[in-house]
Amino acid sequence: MRKLFAVIRREFMVRVHTRAFVISTILGPVLMGALFVLPMLLESRDRAPKPLVVLDAAEGAFGSRVAEALQGSRRGSGLDAPPRYRVTRLEAGVGNVAPLDSLIALLGAKDAGPGALVGVVLVTDSVVETGRLHYYGSNVGSLSEMGDLQRTLRQAVVAERLGRAGVDVSVLVAATAPVSLETSRVSNGRVSGETGESSFILAYVMSFLLYMALLVYGIQVMGSVVEEKSNRIMEVLVSSLTPFELMLGKVVGVGSVALLQLGIWTGTAKVLTTQRVAIAELLGAAPGSAAEMPIPAISGELLAVYLTFFVLGFFLYSAAYAAVAATCSTQQEAQQGALPVTMCIVVGLLLMFGLLDEPNGSLAQTMSLIPLFAPFVTPVRYSLSPLPLMEVLASGTATALGVLAVSWVAGRIYRVGILMYGKRASVREILRWIRTG
Amino acid sequence: MSTTIVDVDRITKRFAGHTAVSNLSLQVPSGAVFGLLGPNGAGKSTTIRMIMHILEPDEGRVTLFGGPGTGRALSARIGFLPEERGLYPRMEVLEQLIFLGEIKGLHRKDARVRALRWLERLGLGDWARRKVQELSKGMQQKVQFIGTLLHDPELVILDEPFSGLDPVNLQVMKDVVVEIARSGRTVMFSTHIMEQAERMCDRIAIIARGEKVVDGRISDIKAEAGNRHVFLSFAHDAAKAVPILADRTLVARVDDSGATAEAELAVGANPDRLLRALMDAGVGLSRFEVAEPSLQSIFIAKVGQQAATAPAREAPHA
Repeated sequence: MRKLFAVIRREFMVRVHTRAFVISTILGPVLMGALFVLPMLLESRDRAPKPLVVLDAAEGAFGSRVAEALQGSRRGSGLDAPPRYRVTRLEAGVGNVAPLDSLIALLGAKDAGPGALVGVVLVTDSVVETGRLHYYGSNVGSLSEMGDLQRTLRQAVVAERLGRAGVDVSVLVAATAPVSLETSRVSNGRVSGETGESSFILAYVMSFLLYMALLVYGIQVMGSVVEEKSNRIMEVLVSSLTPFELMLGKVVGVGSVALLQLGIWTGTAKVLTTQRVAIAELLGAAPGSAAEMPIPAISGELLAVYLTFFVLGFFLYSAAYAAVAATCSTQQEAQQGALPVTMCIVVGLLLMFGLLDEPNGSLAQTMSLIPLFAPFVTPVRYSLSPLPLMEVLASGTATALGVLAVSWVAGRIYRVGILMYGKRASVREILRWIRTG
Repeated sequence: MSTTIVDVDRITKRFAGHTAVSNLSLQVPSGAVFGLLGPNGAGKSTTIRMIMHILEPDEGRVTLFGGPGTGRALSARIGFLPEERGLYPRMEVLEQLIFLGEIKGLHRKDARVRALRWLERLGLGDWARRKVQELSKGMQQKVQFIGTLLHDPELVILDEPFSGLDPVNLQVMKDVVVEIARSGRTVMFSTHIMEQAERMCDRIAIIARGEKVVDGRISDIKAEAGNRHVFLSFAHDAAKAVPILADRTLVARVDDSGATAEAELAVGANPDRLLRALMDAGVGLSRFEVAEPSLQSIFIAKVGQQAATAPAREAPHA
């Protein structure tokens, strides 16, 4: 046991002491912080309403209806949210679109300050029939702004159509009041307080972390085995440790480094999201600017499921990587040999994306029982929809059995392979190693 | 007779294309300095790997310390220096040694104290905090040597311990091995340099092509070969000695090194006749000594020139 611990400790310390680890561990939170804080700063910087012109070339109140709707558009939710636009209505007379050219000339001005005109909405009578409204702007590249603009303008057009059809104004106001969909996740018959969006983000982040940990750290396990082979330290090691102890120590040691790093990153993310209002205040931004970020609330059960599958997945894939490394003598050979393993990881991640739409379909259920993919699929399914305990247990058991099988095979390949030098072993030779082990 | 520490009982190991070790038996008694001799590719490293349980013999059995347990299980009592030297290049020397001690079952603290003491003793005290890759090859070899001895093993198995060392480091290592032997521990080492074994070992086994050729005490082996060897050193006219040494009625076998030669007298010949023949031919001699044969000549006599130089693969290749 002490020997095993010595191997784990060595693998852990050697990695934690590298500059690369320190930098990437620090850089993660810094990047995260930047991603989190920058939008706030930018948001508060251009909080001033954007000047917009409504070029009214339509009959009646259509133009003012559009202008009013735009004026009512707010940045963020809540009553104290700042208005998005400062709207000027320019009456050009019915059918007169001549001022458009001179307005467009103003739009692209390079020397214009922050108060410069952002866009022009052209309102004509034909819009009511064709449903085609034209917007000329310097900000059309922003998908979110355009989406928001479209929603606002649609409401105005719908109201105009209804008005022209003779619908009472009071009915109209009530009928076109905006509708929002608020989702709440239910698990085990209780409302969990999470929104649909946040469980999606959570599922996404979890799978991605697993994917990254497997690729980065699984490949480190592989590199470490090849290093020991090419440095010829292997004989010293196997004269006092069993190959299995060696492999286990390596996987656990490197895995602990992965968990430490992910723990630091997750901790930072947690602090950032829970303290976001305080951070926003600190930066002088409105609390509302931070509130839009969905907070992935993670329940204790989900964390347990995730960690279990994370550890199982890590064992499974690192053992496979270790076995691949044992058959190779150089890093280049190992990288080639590792391709099938890496492919499985990539497929696992892609499957997860495919399952987001239908987390309880038969494909999802099947994938949960395949040890290679279950570590990706099951936690995501668990986070998206309530999963029967039996199914989680079945998936966990299947994966655990898969881990044992892979470790057994990997252990046998490892035992023979680590003392083989020279050319890479052929598949037939590897099969013989597994049989005779 | 003292107890047998390493008992190799008729082991055989085959690799894909050839038999590396064939039906080999060896006994290393407690407290001995045992030399495993043989040309390159004779199966020395394979034998040692089987003793250490890194490889398993296809046939036969290895018993250590007279009881059950494999080389790996008993590794706390064995110090092993493999032929393929290797350390983690990016690890600090001291950390490396502590790790090597730990996997032999030492406590961290204890391993640390011992490592520092050894580093000081071998003149590497200032290098404890440096990375292995910053050390010269000779220093790295010393570090590995320390790693082998750190846990104070009862049995020390060294595979080609003196290869690639400069004379100064060679002397240092030799002193350490001699000291280990004097303290009553058992040393087994392999070498293909006969002079080395001759100076240090009290017992040897010579193997060639995976088979044992001879084993026992050096004194017994030499006595068996008899006082039929003449050592010659030439002062001048060495060329004139060549036809005399080629006379098979006088000399049965000769190892001619140019400035010196070792000749085994033919049956029925005596040293006087050889000396007279050399003097008559005008060969200038600075040494003419009748003595026990050297290991080198015993080795060549036993295995033949061809086997002594036969190239064979020693490491298992897949």
